[in-house]
Amino acid sequence: MAKTKSTAAGVPRVPFRVRRHRFAQRLVRQRTLLLMAVFPMALLIIFRYVPIYGILIAFKKYKPSKGVWGSEWLDPFWKNYTKFFKNVNSEYIIWNTVRIGVLTLLFTYPMPILFALLLNELKGNAYKKTVQTISYIPHFISIVVICSMLNSFGSLSGMFNDIRALFGLARVDMNNGDTYFLREYIGSAIWQGIGWGSIIYLSALSNVDTALYDVANLDGANRWQKIRHIAWPAILPTTTVILIMNVGNVMNSDYTKILLMQNDSNRSKLEVIGTFVYHQGIESGQFSYSTAINLFASAISFALVFATNMIVRRISPENSLW
Amino acid sequence: MAAAAKKKKVNNKIYIGSRAADVLLWIFFAAVSVIFLYPFLNVLAVSFSSNEMISQGRVTIFPRGFNANGYKLLFREAHIWQAYLNTIIICVGFAAFNLVSTSLLAYVMMIPDFVFRKLFSILLLITMFFSGGTIPTYLWIQKLHLINTWWSLILPGCLSAYNVFVYRAFYQGISMEIREAAKIDGAGEFQILTRIYVPLSKALYATFGLFAIVGMWNSYYEALLYIHDQAKQPIQMILRKIVFTALGSDMTETTQMMQNGKLNRLNLQYACIIATMLPVMVIYPFLQKYFAQGVQLGAVKG
Repeated sequence: MAKTKSTAAGVPRVPFRVRRHRFAQRLVRQRTLLLMAVFPMALLIIFRYVPIYGILIAFKKYKPSKGVWGSEWLDPFWKNYTKFFKNVNSEYIIWNTVRIGVLTLLFTYPMPILFALLLNELKGNAYKKTVQTISYIPHFISIVVICSMLNSFGSLSGMFNDIRALFGLARVDMNNGDTYFLREYIGSAIWQGIGWGSIIYLSALSNVDTALYDVANLDGANRWQKIRHIAWPAILPTTTVILIMNVGNVMNSDYTKILLMQNDSNRSKLEVIGTFVYHQGIESGQFSYSTAINLFASAISFALVFATNMIVRRISPENSLW
Repeated sequence: MAAAAKKKKVNNKIYIGSRAADVLLWIFFAAVSVIFLYPFLNVLAVSFSSNEMISQGRVTIFPRGFNANGYKLLFREAHIWQAYLNTIIICVGFAAFNLVSTSLLAYVMMIPDFVFRKLFSILLLITMFFSGGTIPTYLWIQKLHLINTWWSLILPGCLSAYNVFVYRAFYQGISMEIREAAKIDGAGEFQILTRIYVPLSKALYATFGLFAIVGMWNSYYEALLYIHDQAKQPIQMILRKIVFTALGSDMTETTQMMQNGKLNRLNLQYACIIATMLPVMVIYPFLQKYFAQGVQLGAVKG
């Protein structure tokens, strides 16, 4: 405090020697705290920052024996990108990533909001609690289990085909080709996420002052009006924040799930950037190339979050993330 | 009761319309609950049913023609015990490292005049927006000789910036005066953390410990990348192998039983799904008790 005051008044700053001395004193005084921070900070540096530094290989000719720094730069250093965009599949992979991401966002994002608004209208606390508890269960199921179930439910004698048969439709092998992929992928995402995603909205709704509802009842407001004018404004800020976060995820399709849903009949059709990075990097050992592509996707994600936040800030500044 | 009395005051037309909507909502949520639960019940029933009943598609939510061969083979030929043991070690190790490292850092960063408070905050925030991605991380893990060790699953993800900020917010809810008093009594910083802050944050530890365990239990991608040794694989990788790859030569009894019609492939697959989910379902009630709290803890920072 004293320091800022003195600089603001134009008085010469505390000499460096004194500041260094004070800093050293603080270091000594807080040595236990520093010691406590060593282990977690080591984890952070080693397992978070070193890999970030490793992104450099996107512009290098990576040789494991030479390491990240020792490997030669590519000539020109953006060579991996020209290689990617020359690849006949690159356009399709990018388009596929965007298409899957946008459709998933479009269909999954509104669901928890609707679920929360409807559940909020449900009378009877015990029943409401039960429905909620049941709706959370799918969230705790692993992706491998989900994809295993999709795999067998979509087979000729599977549950999905039993349902088709009920409606008089012919049985089809949904695991063959990519025709049913999006339906399964998005449907299962909704099934898994709708209950869990609604928690944050329900807690916003439970914070609504009940007096508002009492007043609305006195005024003879109907159900729709109460939702429109009381419940909806209560969750609006939350919906915006969640939207911004989801838009950032458009390019990071759930590739660990797609990887499991791929088989020989649909692999080329279901390739997205995430799975392409896995196949090119881990399976084919093209480390620099796949790192470059991954960086490209991350850059777009970052730009997307930034852009959405800008738009939100224009429209309603109080709801933006920063 | 009070709500019902209040309702009567409102005019009749709205009341009846509202009543019909209540019933519709009630039915709607009953149907939704069925959609959430049916797949699990079906998987459980099929896993215990006979080959004939399964191939005729006659199993819904009750087993028909009882048959536990799927489970028998799961334990005999798929080495599920080994996978359980591996996964438990990985999960417990992960949770322990997660809780310890997060607590230490969160406590240090809570101290208002800590020298590197700002620097550490920035370092943490950066990791929330940037990561090395699959390949650089993989290469680094390889360079550290962690491939085929459980450390590759435990260490990289155990400290997350988000958790540190939530912990710090929780610690800040504990009165600073307690800390000052303990200091006067001669307690060191580490003692203050372990003797005062940790016992006062039981809800926090229960929530985040359970989440860490379940999260690790359910993950497979890291194991796909780093663990190639069959004997060290966690359970999700066993399920992946059983469902998505052809039966290996090590599963002779399974192949034989399938040829004899004593076993449907689904028996084994669904038995494995149940075995994979069971532990999570067992701790689900405990989880349930805490997770609403957990989400709210998260919202403190969010």
